[in-house]
Amino acid sequence: MTRVIVIDDEEDIRNVLKVVLERAGFEVDVAASADEGMNLLRDKKADVVITDIIMPGKDGVDAVYDIRMEFPKTRIIVISGGGNPNPSDYEPRAIKTSAYLASASAAGADVSLTKPFDREELVNAVRTLAERS
Amino acid sequence: MAVTLNSISSRMVLALLAIHAVLLPALFYGVLAIVKIGQEEAFVDHARNSARLIADTFAADKALGSEQETVRQLDNAVLGGRSTYAVLYTDERTYVSSLMDASEVRSFSEDFVFGDHDDDVYYLSVPLELENTVAALHLGFDESPTLTQIAGVQKTLTNIILVYFFVSLLLVALLSALLAKPIQQLRQDSREVASGNYSKHLLVSSRIHEIAELTRDLETMRSNLVGVNSKLQEEIAEREAAEAKQQSLEVRLRHAQRLESIGTLAGGIAHEFNNVLLPLLLYTELALEDLPEDGSTRENLEKVLKLGNRAKGLSQQILTFGRQAGDAEKLALDIAPVVEEALSLVRALIPATIEIRADIKHNIGTLLCDESQIQQLVVNLCSNAFRSLSVGGGDITVTVDEQHVTEDFVEKYPRLRVGKYVCLAVGDTGVGMDSATLNRIFDPFYTTREVGEGTGLGLSVVHGIVLKHDGEIVVWSKPGEGSVFRVFLPLAGQQSAGHSDDSD
Repeated sequence: MTRVIVIDDEEDIRNVLKVVLERAGFEVDVAASADEGMNLLRDKKADVVITDIIMPGKDGVDAVYDIRMEFPKTRIIVISGGGNPNPSDYEPRAIKTSAYLASASAAGADVSLTKPFDREELVNAVRTLAERS
Repeated sequence: MAVTLNSISSRMVLALLAIHAVLLPALFYGVLAIVKIGQEEAFVDHARNSARLIADTFAADKALGSEQETVRQLDNAVLGGRSTYAVLYTDERTYVSSLMDASEVRSFSEDFVFGDHDDDVYYLSVPLELENTVAALHLGFDESPTLTQIAGVQKTLTNIILVYFFVSLLLVALLSALLAKPIQQLRQDSREVASGNYSKHLLVSSRIHEIAELTRDLETMRSNLVGVNSKLQEEIAEREAAEAKQQSLEVRLRHAQRLESIGTLAGGIAHEFNNVLLPLLLYTELALEDLPEDGSTRENLEKVLKLGNRAKGLSQQILTFGRQAGDAEKLALDIAPVVEEALSLVRALIPATIEIRADIKHNIGTLLCDESQIQQLVVNLCSNAFRSLSVGGGDITVTVDEQHVTEDFVEKYPRLRVGKYVCLAVGDTGVGMDSATLNRIFDPFYTTREVGEGTGLGLSVVHGIVLKHDGEIVVWSKPGEGSVFRVFLPLAGQQSAGHSDDSD
């Protein structure tokens, strides 16, 4: 069965994605931070990692780097809220999420999705990547 | 010109009077004295010669004849017209001419001086040497003809001097008037120049070279001043134009900065908004899956989903305005089919009572653009045009044409560059806008519509798209007549000349 790990600092998002993906027939684990996600990945390998890109602490771009270094075969989907992060909440590496997405792609992300994406869009992306991994 | 003592004419006349006050009396008395002396000398010579001739007639006889004879001889002297008085004194007696009264006889010891006595007679005595005795012949000559002659000369002289005086006075007056005329003309002309008619030439012609030179110098000064003046005027106009341009640029810059900051704010809101929307939409979908096919709960949840999707659209509009939604992929496209496709969508959206007249020119050239954004631009502009039409209907005109942007146009819209552009124009016959509205139409969330009818994002999204494509949007509108939105987008190849620093 295709294993997916969802990393997002927002509980509601990671939980709804877990339900959506499980209903689509994937095995899903969730993590609230990039480090937690890395530990999960080390414990039991995953085919696809879905990570939010703007998070406190280690952000999505760093997460993509780390995953690429340790697990080159794992496919990565980065998701972004679009617009721009509120600078008072984080120390943003870029003013706009489009720049984050570009950095993540450069770091080796396979697909990027902008929130709010459709259910089918996400499921199809995971399915396509899983076939490739 | 008022005649004062300080005018040229008065001064010249006064000078003439002063000169003549000295010169004329001197001339008069000098000439008169010369004439007098000459006449006197001539008279005295004549008297003496005459006396000598008369004396000679007596001396020729050697001795006096009878008394009768002698008196007759004296009468002859008088009658000869040479004298008016003839008396002969001898030792023995005195002979008097019978032609004169004895009472007139006078005695004198020496010759008279001409004019130095009352009766206008010049008396002189001539000695006679006769054989037996010494006698003295006294003769008197009338001075009056000579005196009359002198008086005549004096009178003539006076007349000549008077005539001369008045003629010269007249000449001086005329000359000074002639002299003053060009000066007066010059004064009049320069007054005209001073009162603002700078093009008035100072062209007084005068043979008097001081005046001619003065005129020339003043004219040179005037033309120099006119040159300097027009240069100054030009500089002032240039400065004013530059200031106006500067001002309009500042207004544009402020506007751009305001849009930029609102864009950043909106982007931040959208980011948070999307993080809420995603689970909201997905949870709703999940809940719907679990519900039976009918029932009011399902209906309600479907409404939630619909509203959530509307919120999603709104959020995307905000992001497009913020020019950050996704990464627009620009491709070289012919704009005509893109616009036509968008129009077919618009036709489906608006009532059939609204006529959309399209004049789309094909094969203009390619445009480096994001197809979906161009379509959104057309849809938003048409939707805006539709909303401005009243209930009764109206027309919407959509044209696509090639447009050559000129330097003048660039001056007004500095975002553009000289060269070939595509001009997409959307016009309506709707309510139009006043200038206060025109200034704010691209502000996000600005709307003239009722709450719920419009988001106030449509035109700011259009603005964002236009800027992203290095274009410019020019709006014409008049209350009651309608509006025309003209979007200028650079043709491919033109792009390099566009603002590369303006893109984000």
